[in-house]
Amino acid sequence: MNQRENNLMQTLDMSNPKFRAWVGLLGAVILWGAFAYSLQLRHGLAETGMRDQISWGLYISNFVFFIGISHAGTLISAILRVTDADWRRPITRMAEGITVVALCIGGTMVLIDLGRPDRALNLFRYPRIQSPIVWDVLSVSTYLSGCLIYFYLPLMPDLAILAEEANLGSFRRRVYQLLSLGWTGTPGEWRLLEKAISVTAVMIIPLAISVHTVVSWIFAMTLRPGWDSSIFGPYFVVGAIYSGAAAVVLAMCILRSVLHLEEYLEPVHFRNLGLLLLSFSLLYLYFNVNEYLTVAYKFQGGEKLLLDRLFSGDYAPYFWTVQVVGVLLPMLLMMAVLGPKRYRHFTVPGLGLASFLAIAGAWAKRYLIVVPTLSSPFLPIQRVPESWGHYTPTWIEWSITAAAFAAFLLLYTLLVKFFPVVSVWETRHMEPPAEEMETVSGFGPRAWGSAARLSLILVGILLVGATLARAEEKPVAGPTTLSVTWSNLPSAAVPKMEDARTDPAPGTPWQIGAFAGGMPHFWNSPGNAAKSPGVYPVVSVAAQLKDVKGQALSFQPVKFKLKTSLGWLDFGARPTDDEGKVALVVRDRRYGSYPVSVAYPGDGVHQPSLGETIVEFGLRPAAALPEGGVLTSPTFTPEIGLPFVLFYGSMWCVFAYSLGYLVIWKMRAARQAIALKPDTQ
Amino acid sequence: MEATRRGFIQFLARGTGLLLVSWVVVRTVAAHLFHAKLPPRSVAPGKQRWVMVIDLAKCDGCRDCTKACTKMHFVPPMQEWIKVYEIADNSAAGSYFLPRTCMHCDNPPCVRGCPVGATYKRTDGIVMMDQERCIGCRNCIAQCPYSARAFNWSEPPHTPEELAQPYSVEHNYPHRKGVVEKCILCPEMLRMGMLPGCAEHCTMGAIYFGDEFEDAVTNSKGDTVQFSRIAAKGAGFRLMEELGTEPRIYYLPPVNRKYPSPTEKHQHDADMANPA
Repeated sequence: MNQRENNLMQTLDMSNPKFRAWVGLLGAVILWGAFAYSLQLRHGLAETGMRDQISWGLYISNFVFFIGISHAGTLISAILRVTDADWRRPITRMAEGITVVALCIGGTMVLIDLGRPDRALNLFRYPRIQSPIVWDVLSVSTYLSGCLIYFYLPLMPDLAILAEEANLGSFRRRVYQLLSLGWTGTPGEWRLLEKAISVTAVMIIPLAISVHTVVSWIFAMTLRPGWDSSIFGPYFVVGAIYSGAAAVVLAMCILRSVLHLEEYLEPVHFRNLGLLLLSFSLLYLYFNVNEYLTVAYKFQGGEKLLLDRLFSGDYAPYFWTVQVVGVLLPMLLMMAVLGPKRYRHFTVPGLGLASFLAIAGAWAKRYLIVVPTLSSPFLPIQRVPESWGHYTPTWIEWSITAAAFAAFLLLYTLLVKFFPVVSVWETRHMEPPAEEMETVSGFGPRAWGSAARLSLILVGILLVGATLARAEEKPVAGPTTLSVTWSNLPSAAVPKMEDARTDPAPGTPWQIGAFAGGMPHFWNSPGNAAKSPGVYPVVSVAAQLKDVKGQALSFQPVKFKLKTSLGWLDFGARPTDDEGKVALVVRDRRYGSYPVSVAYPGDGVHQPSLGETIVEFGLRPAAALPEGGVLTSPTFTPEIGLPFVLFYGSMWCVFAYSLGYLVIWKMRAARQAIALKPDTQ
Repeated sequence: MEATRRGFIQFLARGTGLLLVSWVVVRTVAAHLFHAKLPPRSVAPGKQRWVMVIDLAKCDGCRDCTKACTKMHFVPPMQEWIKVYEIADNSAAGSYFLPRTCMHCDNPPCVRGCPVGATYKRTDGIVMMDQERCIGCRNCIAQCPYSARAFNWSEPPHTPEELAQPYSVEHNYPHRKGVVEKCILCPEMLRMGMLPGCAEHCTMGAIYFGDEFEDAVTNSKGDTVQFSRIAAKGAGFRLMEELGTEPRIYYLPPVNRKYPSPTEKHQHDADMANPA
């Protein structure tokens, strides 16, 4: 064990007054936040500045921010591991630690934002796979588990080293011993560990990218101006990696100077990561330009209001500050300290400052993504108190936010105290036994079967036999009779607008078959989606008006009325023809059976009379959900559900394989085999 | 191993075979798993498909609908399940009143986004809201383009009448803290064959309500008109048609207004206040 390792081991013993004061301060802030949260629990979210119009605020911004921060750690570490970049060795552990801690905080922020945290378990009792919130639960929990495993695997040999460390207390050493799962460091164990790490590293990359994409989809799956954007997924991923890489660099700067890790963290590490950060800041700038320019160029509809407010309205100072301080300034600063030789000696502090600005800008940017969009809805904000149209976080929200940051720092501090912040075995340049590293092929792009549907016409209309209602005879002088019959005419089709876009192209039946019939509807799913009956029944109601002698009454007005469930629908009067007959053809789009009343008002000679009949229009369509509903089904929608379940399910399979099978099961087997060897010899 | 052409073709054939087999497996498993059957709560008591028509020309902005709704459902303060907006589409067109209920979309973004199915579509077209399942994530509020949803930020004030009845998803009270509320088209009134509160109490008869399958809508004055006819003749439109939400609430355009517009009304009020 050399000097720098001794130095590193001393960090595990930190308990000087400075350290205690730091932990105490963080603990106090967290307690204060807990107090604020208890008030919020008691009085409801009314304690926050959020209201019906702007219903998400600081908490959701924090959530997006922490998930973003969580990004880079594991992703950078995994990419560097997969590409076998040797300089990564001292920084992977501290990067992965950021991920694990930030994910815990980010997930908690959503719980804090819930109106009914007591019902959070409903997410598991009644999950709807069509909801972006459920995608988030799925992806963040998978990612957190993956990152814990990915943090833990390279830690195992170090835990074994710590268990031997004499300076530590015996209890702590026993815990380390337990956590190391009896790691002994035989070549077989090394081989299994390397394999498990590389498998996990490969899987973590698509997983990490999916997580922030899914977070962006919470917003992008809405119709709101500013969120309804197809670029949001990659935009968020790039923003997340940018802020996350900045967090890693900042953590490196701070740990280096506080824990005196200069011998581990050399300028080359800063330079390499700085170049990565710089390229991501350029990429982020590009995405910003792309995102805002494409909407600003057209300046349409709801986006006009939003952009007006962002570019020159009430959010403008904030917006431009964020763009300049969060993106441009760090970029220029990094170019200066990484580019010309003249300022190279400022690399470390320069990068530290740049990444601090980037992180602050990233947090502010999350706020700018969430709040201005919500405060610019489609319909104007009317008839609510003036303050409801603007969002001002209350002290409760600020306290909880501060507590979130404090908790992040505290958890990270504890991580540093309890585990070596630099991977010991990886930096010892102890080469694991040369063995062909098995690589696992990455995931290809997911094939999303798009559910093309041919609109099937046709719910058959059953026609029921006619019933005849006799007109009542009135026992008065000059009574009239009104006999009513009705009959079905051929159904009429609901008129359709000519539209070449929706008509199938002629002469390409195989394409239609391939895309509409044969493709993804292999499950018998949409039993709950109703097709609108493409036709409606046409009914003719005929009446014969006769006087008391049975003579037809010609050219007399006859009124038709139909009884609906809520009132009488009046068809007006029709004259009888020279045979005393009158017919009403009803072409309404009506289904079911209805009493139709036919009335003759009478004149000076003839008495009024009334005829009634029950007219059967076609059968009512069966009770079903509307066909227009996309992903609104109360049941599992395979089109969207299967890709998610398969993607995250395969991640869990890999976790089970790398941790459960390789590390726990096979390693034990390998150790037992070695333990048995001396006996057999 | 040598890379032969034959070997490579075999390799491709095996891969194709594997893909086909897994396709068949997924297909078989999916066919057994996903036979969609509607849960009971999604099936409405009747076979209707409700529809509402609001004649903007007849709306004079009196807000009797809002008051009746608030009274009937004990709507918590600061919420209006039917809110009467004052809208001016452009600077030249005059302003008009726009009563906005929940649109009960046939393609409801809120239902799509709800993680727990607390808001769900019923077969009679109503977008229901179950306050006993809602977790208060407010994703539906973000999803709704019509701002038709409200949240109980604190425990709403209660009245004895409200608390007298047990909670039912058909009347949505007693209200509670931390859940989302909105217009649910008065299912309990519909069960009794009555108009929803807003339509019943619209003194102008501007709100027509009925069953699309009956092709008839009725207003508070007892006028029953053919739905497809007034929608066609009156150039009925739906709010933000371009968003594809397919609302069940139709509007007749505010042409030839029978009552003063909001601007005229404000002018009148100002004149009354300062008789110069």
